[in-house]
Amino acid sequence: MSHHPPEQGNAADAEARIAAVQQADSAQALLRATQELARCPEAHAAPVLVEVLGFNNPGAAVAAVDGLIRLGPAAVEALLQLDPDNYGARAWAVRALAGIGDVRGLELLLEALGSDVAASVRRAAAKGLGQLDLDLLSEAERQRVRACCLEALLAAGADGEWVVRYAVVVGLESLAQGLAAESPERLRAQAGLDALSEAAEVTPPVVQQRARLALARLAIH
Amino acid sequence: MADADASPPQTGEPISEQEALRRLRQSEDSSQQYYGAWWLGRMRSQHPEAVPLLQQALRQRRPRDSGEGVEENAVARNAARALGKLAPAAHAAIPDLLDTLEDPDDGLREAAARALGELRAVEAVGPLCNRLASGPAVAGAQQADSPRLVEPCEALLEALGDIGLAQPQVLAVVEPFISHERPLIRSAAARALLQLTGDPCWGERLVALLEHPQLQVRRAALMDLGAAGWRPGFDAIARTLTDNSLKLMALRGLVERGSGPPGDEALLACMDGLL
Repeated sequence: MSHHPPEQGNAADAEARIAAVQQADSAQALLRATQELARCPEAHAAPVLVEVLGFNNPGAAVAAVDGLIRLGPAAVEALLQLDPDNYGARAWAVRALAGIGDVRGLELLLEALGSDVAASVRRAAAKGLGQLDLDLLSEAERQRVRACCLEALLAAGADGEWVVRYAVVVGLESLAQGLAAESPERLRAQAGLDALSEAAEVTPPVVQQRARLALARLAIH
Repeated sequence: MADADASPPQTGEPISEQEALRRLRQSEDSSQQYYGAWWLGRMRSQHPEAVPLLQQALRQRRPRDSGEGVEENAVARNAARALGKLAPAAHAAIPDLLDTLEDPDDGLREAAARALGELRAVEAVGPLCNRLASGPAVAGAQQADSPRLVEPCEALLEALGDIGLAQPQVLAVVEPFISHERPLIRSAAARALLQLTGDPCWGERLVALLEHPQLQVRRAALMDLGAAGWRPGFDAIARTLTDNSLKLMALRGLVERGSGPPGDEALLACMDGLL
């Protein structure tokens, strides 16, 4: 976009791309316009991208989630204001919040992992709970949030779907990396991984293998 | 491709193993039998009564007749599916499944073929080949009064691949289906040939199908690459235009069934990225 004059041209361009999403009159047009907008979104595009999550257009929703993750923390307010009764939109929002890693998404991620009916939503939430960005919190707050995530992930280690248990392994690994070695929380996370690394009727080899990899990485760190 | 009809037949309260056995044992209400059979397979029941009751349900099949409630053969179909999941105990039911493979109801033959494949029943290879021997033009022709094929080719081909007996006469039966007019059948044939021979040319056929304009075909090819565990297809799988759930299932197949490059860690990293 270097041929545009700085600032003004980009702003006008952003407005045009937002308008294209709002005026799209077919599924194909919505998909293309959302992809365009998601490529380099600006903060005020967030509510528009969030709206796309509720349009029952999976291709456009995938693009919108990418755009929202690209926006990062600037997209969180809009995501949290989503209509709680629009199930489809909420499922996509969980994926966006999991990808952004903003701690304001904690409650929604905990709820999704514990009770969402779709395994694809639970698996996104499990991964997201392991990678929340806690840098700006006080030490006490950080500990509280990590404890919440740890409990939720350990409980979801018994999820009925293998892919959720796989995501729990990924979440526990990244969570444990932020915990002090030898701390009780770290040991609990490792015990959870240990259980998932063992051969069991309900634990497929791929989950065991991923858990062993996580334990090996944690042993090095 | 995975059995499309393997979801719970109804939502309801969770039931116990005893309750599932009771529902299958009674014969008043076939929808209860249907649920009981599904439950035993889904939960991989190890109860000693499970396989005998499922065998009995399989023998109850009759000419297709959709009356009130659950159609009679629906119970037998679910019993066959459940038996496929209950190895090794279900090996005792292989003769019943071989009988079912000769049933006039092609839906039942389909369920029996899948179960025999899952049980790796070497004794089924001859009968499975017999059903396919007339080739795409006969066994693979469309039925006069329905969009279904004369034989459940997809299930029969997949079963031959899963059982894995790579004899020349088996390959000779499977190969003609690689040019069947339906892409789903081509996918099943490529999968079976890849499993039987390991020849990369069949893996390349499946990778080509990942770009098919129909989502259903892309999904089938993903599942087939996963079933064969063909690791060279890894990149193409990750790039396929479909939701991540199926890509994750396919990559799981590569991790669990495949060997060679890319190594486990690269595959697992790719799966992590798709969560």
